[in-house]
Amino acid sequence: MNIQEHLPILLVATPILMSALMIMLRSRPTFQKTLNIIVSASLLLMSIILLLQVWNSGIQVYEVGEWGKYGIMLVADLLGSGMVVLSSGISLLALIYSLDYIEGKSLNTTYHSLFNLLVAGLNGTFLTGDIFNMFVFFEILLLSSCGLVVASENGGVTKISDKMEATFKYLILNIIGSMLMLVAVASLYATVGTLNMADLSVKISALSDAGTLPWHIYFIALLFLIVFGNKAAIFPLHYWLPDVHPTAPSPISAMLSGVMIKVGAYGILRVYFLVFKDALFLLQPIIILLALITIAIGAIAAVGQKDVKRLLAYSSVSQIGYVFLGIGMGTAYALTASLVYLVNHAIAKSMLFLTSGGIIHHAGTRDMHQMGGMVKSAPLMSSMFLIGAMSIAGLPPLGGFIAKFVLFDAAMLGEYYLPLLIGFAFAVFTIFYMFRAWLLMFWGETRDSDKYGPYSSHGLSPMITVPIIILAAAVLILGVYSEPLIALSSEIANQLLDPQPYINAVLGGSVR
Amino acid sequence: MNNTILSITIALIFGIGTFLMLRRDIVKVIIGLSLISHAVNLLIVSTGVFDGEKAPIISNGHHDSSSGIIFTDKLSDGIFAPIVPSGMEVHFVDPLVQALVLTAIVISLATTAFILILAYRIHEEYGTTDIRKLRRLRG
Repeated sequence: MNIQEHLPILLVATPILMSALMIMLRSRPTFQKTLNIIVSASLLLMSIILLLQVWNSGIQVYEVGEWGKYGIMLVADLLGSGMVVLSSGISLLALIYSLDYIEGKSLNTTYHSLFNLLVAGLNGTFLTGDIFNMFVFFEILLLSSCGLVVASENGGVTKISDKMEATFKYLILNIIGSMLMLVAVASLYATVGTLNMADLSVKISALSDAGTLPWHIYFIALLFLIVFGNKAAIFPLHYWLPDVHPTAPSPISAMLSGVMIKVGAYGILRVYFLVFKDALFLLQPIIILLALITIAIGAIAAVGQKDVKRLLAYSSVSQIGYVFLGIGMGTAYALTASLVYLVNHAIAKSMLFLTSGGIIHHAGTRDMHQMGGMVKSAPLMSSMFLIGAMSIAGLPPLGGFIAKFVLFDAAMLGEYYLPLLIGFAFAVFTIFYMFRAWLLMFWGETRDSDKYGPYSSHGLSPMITVPIIILAAAVLILGVYSEPLIALSSEIANQLLDPQPYINAVLGGSVR
Repeated sequence: MNNTILSITIALIFGIGTFLMLRRDIVKVIIGLSLISHAVNLLIVSTGVFDGEKAPIISNGHHDSSSGIIFTDKLSDGIFAPIVPSGMEVHFVDPLVQALVLTAIVISLATTAFILILAYRIHEEYGTTDIRKLRRLRG
């Protein structure tokens, strides 16, 4: 048995099995923690091997149960396996961070189990080739993240009732999104008679060539825009995000803001550029319009925040708008830009959320007006927050600069002058609100440290600082040496625009 | 006739579910959600064929030559399976939609259980089931 062929299913099955195992191991917390870190690290290793394999020898298809296109297929192309590497890396660091950050009782009972389910849901969403299977993994993601949002952290900065309220909003809105996705999938199945995305693509383009494409295909495509826009918090559906991401414990905020909202962008990239490529001409202006409104609303709302995590959440809303702007422009270069932006934002924003956890740990509050002068008492956190803020604001030499530069360059080449202007104006807003937050927290008068919560004397353990430093190093490296990421992204963009290799890889093997 | 009644039923359940979801009481919202999920399940089942009485097993090869039904795709000829000649009734039920509906039912069971417990905890924390009182988060 060649283990390398089985990497896609291992990336999904291992965390699911581990999540069951972790519940049984809850009486042995040390073993549980060690095992979970080992599993998470090996998942990262496996995902990197998978990406290298896909890079070297093309798209890898795994037929679960060998049913061909009628069964579930896991398809590892460059986009999917690249996203798996990103999510595995961030989840490993968030897991290490949470071992010291989450309260012991909550950590030892359900946290590890739910965290593994979250990882399984992410990997499954990125690797599946079946649109109904994607719905199932969305539900796994939704329920496990709800359980993780209500996990309580050390120090109890966020009240449990706030967590309940945020989770309720999140759950209701996302269940409605899932129901819409089911409606869309059922209509698609009734129209075309298949659920495999490559098969759907072939059949819809055959229908389109024959000129018999039913008009309701466009409505199904719009339903998918609502579904994925809800996941990614695009303008009319963004209002749950600023409640949920701040109330979650910081490592989970990092996972939600870093990876979970990218699931929506991934879904748009996968479903639209593979299945609905004949409807794209209709959808791209809508995506650009929504992206611009999202950028504006997120940036304007972030300016007036006093809660540091709420500011970061609104900043996530604004930044995901830039990713969608690139998707909406739809040329190869714009898609490259959007993918570079996605990776850079994922790393920088998860780092900022982890750093804000350290800051909250130190200050005992989330209100920025009650902090101040912390540059002396928490020098590491201040420099790390500065790196993250500079990257989000798009200042050289950090990753965010490269991302914004490539995106605006793509807009210039594609002659999207008005979107470029609006995007640029709100990039200036980004600089303003990120540095306002930094100044409020770290400069100014030093507050009496007695006012800080009971955990300020606890200090920051290496488990909290090391993940932040690794992510900061990644932000810096992506800014200084960004060629590999840009090369990978442009290869992914070419694969997206020409899905024929994907279709051949998926449908080539099935002769039934 | 049957299809019309079925469509109207699905539409009515969707409507009632949406109406309940816009109520103030948390429990009514949850009932509305589960009604909507039932409506979606009905919609999925209705995409299969209803009139059949046989089990969906293809016994004599890919082409049922006696009836003229084609079960396999042949894209070069523009054939999307299944193709039923006009004037013929299909006597098979699509098994895939039933598998889909089973999955969807299990998932909606899990979400409903979770959200009911969440509603109970919200009632404990806030002392009310009025959804308008849940507005401590703002900004």
